[in-house]
Amino acid sequence: MWTYDKKLQYPVKIKNPNPAYAKIIMDQYGGPDGELAASLRYLSQRYSMPCDELKGLLTDIGTEELAHFEMIGAMIYQLTRNLSCEEIKKQGFDAYFVTHTNGVYAAAASGMPWTAAYIQTKGDVLADLHEDLAAEQKARVTYDNILRLIDDPDIIDPIKFLREREIVHYQRFGEGLRIATDALDSKNYYLFNPSFDKPGK
Amino acid sequence: MLTEKAKLLHCLSAEKFAAWELHLYLDTHPCDKTAQRMHEKHMARAEELREEYERKFGPLSTRTGEGCEWVKGPWPWEKGE
Repeated sequence: MWTYDKKLQYPVKIKNPNPAYAKIIMDQYGGPDGELAASLRYLSQRYSMPCDELKGLLTDIGTEELAHFEMIGAMIYQLTRNLSCEEIKKQGFDAYFVTHTNGVYAAAASGMPWTAAYIQTKGDVLADLHEDLAAEQKARVTYDNILRLIDDPDIIDPIKFLREREIVHYQRFGEGLRIATDALDSKNYYLFNPSFDKPGK
Repeated sequence: MLTEKAKLLHCLSAEKFAAWELHLYLDTHPCDKTAQRMHEKHMARAEELREEYERKFGPLSTRTGEGCEWVKGPWPWEKGE
């Protein structure tokens, strides 16, 4: 069960539309290391987690990623308002526009639609937590790259907030991995598949 | 210049963010008493600010609003004021 707060986690107020920037930022909406992938990855992996702390952590971070998905959606929305056909063509937004008009669609910057093939649920606590740690780092690098390509302070501010969240989540997942390994047989870490060998108590 | 509405929402978001950050920390440090107390403090302050905001500017959640008040924009992705 989820509830909705009619506010963004961090404000997004972009004064100047810029469809070229919208296309770049879209990578964190529907791209391989984006917020949708993050949310669905964690919310699906939590079922096979062996300890309560990890079920809580994946539920909470998966939930926060949905709030980030909404922030990125708001940025794309605000960057693609009130455009003339000239601007759309000049800024290379025509290929997107012909398929989606000004709708916000989950695709990568390249135009590739979002796919569940971006994510994995391995059903193994070590495999899944290592994927999550890598996912946070990959998202952080994408935000670094966005910051290299964009010079509008209205965009930079919320993007920096989202980049910092990747770092905090990485820290929490690192602690989660430690909790998991502390609970495993120390002589047998890598031969152990808790979700298969030891179904929930 | 921020309006009263924007300022109040800013303060509420800051308190909610602090509470959320502590909530995540407590997932991996569930027995940390200092973090628990800080979490309670920020939650209580956020709740006061939420009540004040909703009294003045309308509902922020499906628990506190319905009908005309709930559907009324601007929605969060719209720039509003």
